[in-house]
Order: sequence, then structure tokens, then C-alpha cells
Amino acid sequence: MFITDIRKEFYDVVVNQRVALLVSSDIDALCACKILQALFHCDQVQYTLVPVTGWQDLGTAFLEHKEQFRCFVLINCGANVDLLETLQPEEDSIFFICDTHRPVDVVNVYNDTQVKLMIKQDDDLGVPSYDDIFRDEEEEGGDDSGNESDGGSEPSGKRRRYDEGEVERRIERQRAMREWEARRREILFDYEQYEYHGTSAAMVIFELAWVLTKDTKDMLWWAIIGLTDQWVHDKITHMKYVTDIATLQRHVSRHNHRNEDEDNSLSIDCMRISFEYDLRLALYQHWSLFESICNSSYTSCNFKLWSMHGQKKLQEFLADMGLPLKQVKQKFNSMDMSVKENLREVIEESSNKYGMKDIRIQTFGVHFGFKNHFLASDVVHATAALLESTEKDDSPGDNFIKALDCLSRSNLERLHGGIDLAKKKLMAIQQTVASCICTNLILSQGPFLYCYLLEGTPDVKLFSKPMALTLLCQYLLKAFVRSTRNKRCKLLPLIIAAPMDVEKRTVIVLGIPPESETSDKKNFFGRAFEKAAEGTSSRTLHDHFDTSIIELKMEDRTKFLDALITLLS
Amino acid sequence: MPTTSTTDDRLSKFKNKGKEPSKLRERRIAECVELRKAAKNENFLKRRNITTLPEDADQSPELNTDNHEVTAITIEEVVGHVNSDCKERQTRGCQAARKLLSRECNPPLKEIVEAGLLSRFVEFLGRDDDPSLQFEAAWALTNIASGTSWHTQQVVEHGAVPAFISLLASPMLHISEQAVWALGNIAGDGPAYRDTLIECNVIPALLSRITPDTPVGYLRNLTWTLSNLCRNKNPFPPLSAVQQVLPSLIQLLHLSDQDILSDACWAVSYLTDGANDRIDIVVQTGIVPRLVSLMSFEALTVVTPALRSIGNIVSGSDIQTQVAIDAGVLSVLPSLMRHSKPSVQKEATWAVSNIAAGPAQQIQQLLTCGLLPPLIDLLRNGDFKTQREAVWAITNFTSGGTVEQVIQLVQSGGLEAILNLLTVKDSKTILVILDAINNLFMAAEKMGETDKLCLLVEELGGLDKIEMLQNHENDTVYRTAQALIEKFFTDEEPEGLQTEATEATDTTFAFKTQDVQKTFRF
Repeated sequence: MFITDIRKEFYDVVVNQRVALLVSSDIDALCACKILQALFHCDQVQYTLVPVTGWQDLGTAFLEHKEQFRCFVLINCGANVDLLETLQPEEDSIFFICDTHRPVDVVNVYNDTQVKLMIKQDDDLGVPSYDDIFRDEEEEGGDDSGNESDGGSEPSGKRRRYDEGEVERRIERQRAMREWEARRREILFDYEQYEYHGTSAAMVIFELAWVLTKDTKDMLWWAIIGLTDQWVHDKITHMKYVTDIATLQRHVSRHNHRNEDEDNSLSIDCMRISFEYDLRLALYQHWSLFESICNSSYTSCNFKLWSMHGQKKLQEFLADMGLPLKQVKQKFNSMDMSVKENLREVIEESSNKYGMKDIRIQTFGVHFGFKNHFLASDVVHATAALLESTEKDDSPGDNFIKALDCLSRSNLERLHGGIDLAKKKLMAIQQTVASCICTNLILSQGPFLYCYLLEGTPDVKLFSKPMALTLLCQYLLKAFVRSTRNKRCKLLPLIIAAPMDVEKRTVIVLGIPPESETSDKKNFFGRAFEKAAEGTSSRTLHDHFDTSIIELKMEDRTKFLDALITLLS
Repeated sequence: MPTTSTTDDRLSKFKNKGKEPSKLRERRIAECVELRKAAKNENFLKRRNITTLPEDADQSPELNTDNHEVTAITIEEVVGHVNSDCKERQTRGCQAARKLLSRECNPPLKEIVEAGLLSRFVEFLGRDDDPSLQFEAAWALTNIASGTSWHTQQVVEHGAVPAFISLLASPMLHISEQAVWALGNIAGDGPAYRDTLIECNVIPALLSRITPDTPVGYLRNLTWTLSNLCRNKNPFPPLSAVQQVLPSLIQLLHLSDQDILSDACWAVSYLTDGANDRIDIVVQTGIVPRLVSLMSFEALTVVTPALRSIGNIVSGSDIQTQVAIDAGVLSVLPSLMRHSKPSVQKEATWAVSNIAAGPAQQIQQLLTCGLLPPLIDLLRNGDFKTQREAVWAITNFTSGGTVEQVIQLVQSGGLEAILNLLTVKDSKTILVILDAINNLFMAAEKMGETDKLCLLVEELGGLDKIEMLQNHENDTVYRTAQALIEKFFTDEEPEGLQTEATEATDTTFAFKTQDVQKTFRF
């Protein structure tokens, strides 16, 4: 069931309990987790934090903790499958689910006792009504003789004889029942067809903190990062992003306003969040402007930097801005103050001339003391890089803790480390995009585009991770759409596959919807993958919380793809 | 030795070696109950999700129409009419009562009984001069007998049984048919009333109504009533009665109407659900080939009871099983094991498990007819209840099969499939699997190939799983697993270190790369 009063129905319940906090491996989940941890600290709630990377992980974590815990809080996992069916919990286990995955499984929606969904009702949910998908036993069977339609069960020992009219009505009702079932299938098909994402988990938990009047600037910042993660990883529509930014901006003003009476000046340990209309250049404040332009998807795609022509255009662009190359190529921090002063305006003006009308975007930045300034999207990139670090000796658990740590204000060193990793990651992505475009690795398969990263491609290990591969896939599709002359291909979704585990001979496969400015970001690959796997009995593992990401045996790749083509044609 | 105790446990489940053939049936009953419980729980689970029960929209208009009729006449008025001496009023009252009893919602069974109407109704059954009154009374009593045991008891105690039996001979077909129906309800109440009816010679009276001209509708009711006369155990229906019914039942089984076939098959399934002598009576009639052919009937309502009957028969003696095999059951079972309904898969696998419990020749026939591939498929992909039956089939196979047969089983992937199932939660199933593994090792010992099998089990990731089972919460599982390891897996470490042997192997294999194919199946 959906929780309507998150304070009464969730917080007041768990505050006196020991809580198992199961957190998915994505940035929004980490942020929600940070906020919740802070709240739990305030109220001295005992909790155990367990990172989970997939369904199997979730199942194991549940089994390990079901004896000691009654309350389970699931962040960014659990909403889109029948949880009770999956976990088979005892009657007294309660699950509080704060998950952006849509559609929410209908059984979760209509279970009143064990599944509590912390999901904003104003999200575009479209849950079928109860009567359309569930019927009660009495109605279903009528009584004993009504079960005959099901067939195969033992006949009843006794039978009552009904009036003739009654018999007709019974037949009529059976017919209605069949119609109802057909309609039910249709409704559920429509409802479950597409996968998409709802309001950020961090924002939902932040709102709880606000309702409790325990919200702090740190919490607000985490909520901002949660939302920005959804934007960076292309999970929500532009409309939704802008709307939610506006919501957060109100909170930001409130917080800034609150502090105005106090000293009103920056101090060494203060934190100040500000709304910015900043550049869509990744990490530019921690890099050089030039490198950031080269490695940001927006600029790189617009210039087509993988081509000579593109490189030339970039030079022209820089000249147009009138910035000395030396300044542009040196560390941003060391750029002349005079150049930096109205840099954003200068860049915007030239960008407009070069067809980049959206070079600026509404976002937030944070000042920690005097020295440190970070943009929300930069923190997302840094945290993601830490979370999916492929450095040796890092277990997923370690990475999770490091990523979580880098979100704390006290741990700026770790954040800087993450930024360095993120730079490497972005460069790897850009190089891979360039080589895929230049060597025509993206093939049109009819109903979709397909790209397979061969074993031995540089940085291929990085792309065995879901978030990195997602980012690559998005940038690649944008680049492809810019570079191809085939109009039909511009409207196609993209599937990418990359080696996952060489020893197990598996690949990770993921699909994203077509690239367009008005895209609703709804992804149908989840269902399609399931169907294709079923039809060909391919050995697949649908373990990821996003159904559009699966693992597949390398040998089964061809037949799986063939089935997918047939299915979607 | 823990292994011996589980072996005994298993032995008693075998049809041949077991001293108690009823044990096997117990298993099936326990499962049925469990199934029903599961279904109920499922409904419960769904139902508890609801806060406000949605009103049954399409039921209300019906209620209203019923109420119109009902408000026209109350039970008091019915009593007045029925007790009057006026024929027309009697008929009208009786009809009104029948209508009350025929409505879908809350028929006033108890109220009618308590109004003292039953003795009058039974009396009306004998009114050959007024067929419509007879008919209404028969219908009303039929519906009362369809209630709880108490309701049925009321009908019987008012002397309805002899009245209905004489009514069977009525020249009016619809009245006779109503009597058949009423008697079916009484027989369906349980073994006591079933035998009361049999003692009143209901069977010859019923059978005399089967003629080439009898309409299908009538035959359907009659078949159902006959099936109720075959139904229920503790005690079974008397042998003489069974022998009386069987020829007609065989006759009905050769018709083509789906409902008749279904009820007739159910009747056979009741009759075969007993000790070997009970099964024998059915097998003697020569009906087995027909039953086997009905297993491929298109309607599930026929397939299920036919399969159940054959399943019962192959749980009998080797000779009885052979009759079913000779009738071609082995060529039908593979398709049923791939049936879309899991319940059918489970029943079919249950039958296979019993054939696998037979002598080596019968196991050979299983192999020849290609039952191994679907069986192993089900071990891999079947639903859990089916997997459990399949595991039994494998264990029975390994215990009765020759060394060559067992080797073929392993080569077809049977070992891998059962090893993968060692991770299930149900400890009983685990014990059955461990038994199969034990049997395999005994076969390997005969061949002197123990080491090879050890290696294979290891390679398939089985050793890791068996080692894990030593931490199992169930005591017997833990001890059986330990015994297996001690017996077959420790002596290959000649360096000594007996006490740390298991730990040592543990670490050795921790580094081993898992067989991909297996871990990847999902």
C-alpha cells in the first residue's frame, strides 16, 4: 500500500524498532540512505546497513537478517516485483519501500499489512484499480460447481441444483469472468510494459526530514545530489527534473533565509547551497576548461569531436570566445580571475552561435567554507566513480562505504579522489564513443541499434559495471544520432553489450530508449529481454533492479538477439 | 548410522520393497492437503490485502429479482401450503420451497428443515399420481441433501433413501434423473451413507437406467452418482458393489462425452486408490489401455483423473505396473511431463517415480522410451512439487537400476540436476537426494570407479553443496551429509590431517572456479 502520512505510518513506527536498511547501489539510494542515517542518529534508532546490488543479494540479505529484524527499509529496490512472493517473509516482517522503479508491482500496491510504499502519489503511477485486477474467491468460484472451468480438480461430492434462470446467469457470469480476465491481462500488460523512474528516493526521505522539522543543509544537499543523479543517468524527463529542481530551490531559499539573521558571512566551516544556472560541462571546476569540453557529452556530441572537422570547430569556438588557449588548457582553479569573472556568459554566447542553446542548466552548487565549491553533477560523477571503482582489491562492499563516505562534508579528500576517478571514467567513455563511431561499431538491427564491445577493448572492465555502461550507452546514442545521416536510425533505441565476467563467459546487456528531447524515458527492454530469454531458453540472469540490465551467457548472445529482433519487429 | 534410518524411511515409501504400501498413498494425501492449504493461504494472502471488500456489483440485481419472488411467499406460507390437503396448494408450496432452495445466495436449508417440511416432501416423493409434485419435492430434497452432513442426515433420517430408489424407476425421465441426483448427494456425504445406499440396492436400480437411448444429460448425472458410490476410503466400498459397478463404468468410459468420461475416470481413480487387491479388480477388467488413451484426451477434466488412475495403478505391484507399460503409458507420459499445467507435470512425474521403483527391466523401458530427458528437464525447471517427485524418481532409479542404467542416468545429466537441487529448503527432499547420491556411490564402488565419481561430484559443484549441508539446521540432513563426506571424500587425503579434512577440502575448493553453466541457470 502507499503510505499517505510518511511520518505517522513510517517514521513513528520504525523509531522504536531495530531497522534493517537495505540500500541499492546507486547514487540516489546512497543519498537517501545518508539522510535516513542522519535522522536515525538524531533519534538514536538502531539500524543495520546492508548494501545490495541485485535481487539475489537482496534475498540473501533478507535471509540473513529476518531473524533479528521485523522492520526492513528498502531503498531503490523492491517496488517493481511482488516482494512477498520473492522473499517469502513471515507474517510479521514489514517492508518500507522507498524506490524510484516503476511500475510498482500491483501486489505490493494492494498489500495493506506488510508492504508499505513510500512513494509520492503525485508521481505518474497509473496503477490499475483494485477491482480491475483482483477478484475475491467467492466471486470467482460462485461455489463448488463453478470451479469446473479450471478443470482437473476433483469433482465435488455434493451438488445443488439451481433454477434454470440461475444457470443462465451462471453461464453469463462465467462469460463475464472470462472477459474480465482478458481485460485484466490487457490492463496489466499496458501497465507493466514500460519501465521508468519516479521521484528521487533522496527527495522523498528529505521531505520526511522536513516534515519532522529535522532537515539540515547537509540533508538538503543530499536530496539535491539524489535528484541530480536521476538527471545525469537520464532516468527522468527534463520536465520532471525542472519541476523537482523548483521544489528543492524553495527548500534552499528557506534554509538560506533562516541563516540570514545570524552572522550572514561565510566562515571556515560553513556550508552554503546556492541555485546556479551553470554550464553542462562535467567537472570543469576541477579540470581544465578544455578537457571538460572535450569530455562532456553535450559539447563533444555537438562538435562531433571524434572527427577532424569537429576538432577544428572546437578551435574556432574557443577563438570565438576570445579566450587564450593557454588559459583554457590550464587548471580551472589557476585561470585568471578576469577570465573567470563572466565566463559562463561568455561561453553561453558563443555556444548559442554554435547551436548549443542548452549549454546552461538549472542546478545547485555548494560551498564548503571558502575554498571548496562543488556542482551537484560533479559530486554525482565522483560518487558513481567510487561506487563502481574497478581498482584492484576493492570489494563492492568497500566501494559502497567509500562512496557513502565521500558524500560527507568531513571527507572532502575522498570526494577529490572520486573526482579524479570520474575524470578517468569520462575520458574512457569519450574515447570508447569516438572509437565506436569511427569504426562503425553501432549496427542497425531493424527495430533497434546494437553495439557490442569486444573483449580487449580498452577500459572494457569499467564497462562491466551498470552505471558506467549506462552512461556510455547514453553518450554513444547521442553521438550516433549526431553523426548518422540515416533518419530512421535516429529514432531507434540502443542495446549495448559488454563482457562482464571473462571466466564465466558472460556479457552484460542493457537497452535504453530512443534519444529525443521530448523522450518520456520509458524503457520497454525489460519485458522484451524477459520474453526473448524465455523464448530461446537463453541462459540469462535478471538480477539487476533495473529490468533493462541483464547478464547473458556469451554463447547465447546470437540467438537471444535474433529472438529480440523478431519480437520487436 | 544416520544413513540407515533414512534408507528405512525411504524403503517404506517404495512400492515393492516397502512393507506398507499405504505409506506411499499417505505421501500423496499429505501433499494434497498441503496443496489445498497452499491454495487457501494464497487466497488468504490476496484477501488480506483488501481494506474494503468491494461489493459484488453484478450480484445485487439477482438478489433483487430473487427477493421479488421471495417476498411473494414466505416460509410460513410454504408451510401452510404444503401441509394443506389441496393438491394445487401443495404443488405451489413445494415449488416455492424449491425456488428458495435453488437461489444462489444463502438458500434457507436449515429453515426449511426446521419448519418440519421434510417428512411431507418425502411423502410427496411417493405421489405417483402427481408427477409435478414429485418433481418439486425431489428437487427440494436434492438441494437440502447438498448442504452439510447435518442437512444430508436430516434428509436420510426422514426416510428419503428408499423413496428416491423407487423413484428411479419413474417413467418420467426428469423425475428419475432428479432422484439420481439426490442419491448422488447422499452417497457423496461419506462412506457411511454410501454403504447405506449400497445396502438398499441402489446400484442395480441405477444401472438399469443405462440404455442406449438414455439422454446424455441423464447419463452425466448418473455417472457422477456412480462415481460417488466408488468414492471415499475407510472403509472402501464393499468389493461386491465395486464388481457390480465396474462393467457399467467400463461401458461409460467408452463414450465420448467429456463430462461422463471425467466422472467415470474419477470413479476409476477412487477404486484404484487402494491396496493392490483393489487395483487388481480394475486391472482385471482390461480397462487400462482405454485409460492410457484417455490420458491424451484434449480436455484437462479427463486427463487429470485418467492420469491419477494410471498413477495409482503403477503404484501397485510389478505385474500391475507392467500392464500399464504394455498399454503404452510410457509413450504418453513424456508429453504430460511437458504439459502446460504444473499439476499435470507433477502427477505424471509421480507416476514415473513409481515406475522407476520397479525392477531393472521396467527401468530399462523407461530409458528406452526416452523418459529421462523430460525427467531431467523437470528437475531443472519444474515447479518445486514436480521437482520433488522427480527427485524421488531419480532415487528410486538409482536404487533399483543396474550399474549400466545408473551410468546412463549420470551421463544424461541426472547427477548434475539433483546436485543443483541440494540448495532447496525442504530437508526431506535433500535427504532423498543424498540417498540418490549414496546409491550412485554404491554403484560406482561396484565398478571400482569411486574416485571418478568423487571427481565428477566435485566438478559439478556438488561437494561444496554437500559440505554446506553439514551446517544444516536439520539434524538428519547434517549427519547424512557428514556420513557421505566421511565415507567417500576424505580418504583421498592421504597426508593425514583427518580432523581438519573437511576444512582443508573447503579451502581447496573455494578457489575452484564454479561451473558456469550451473550457476547461471535461473
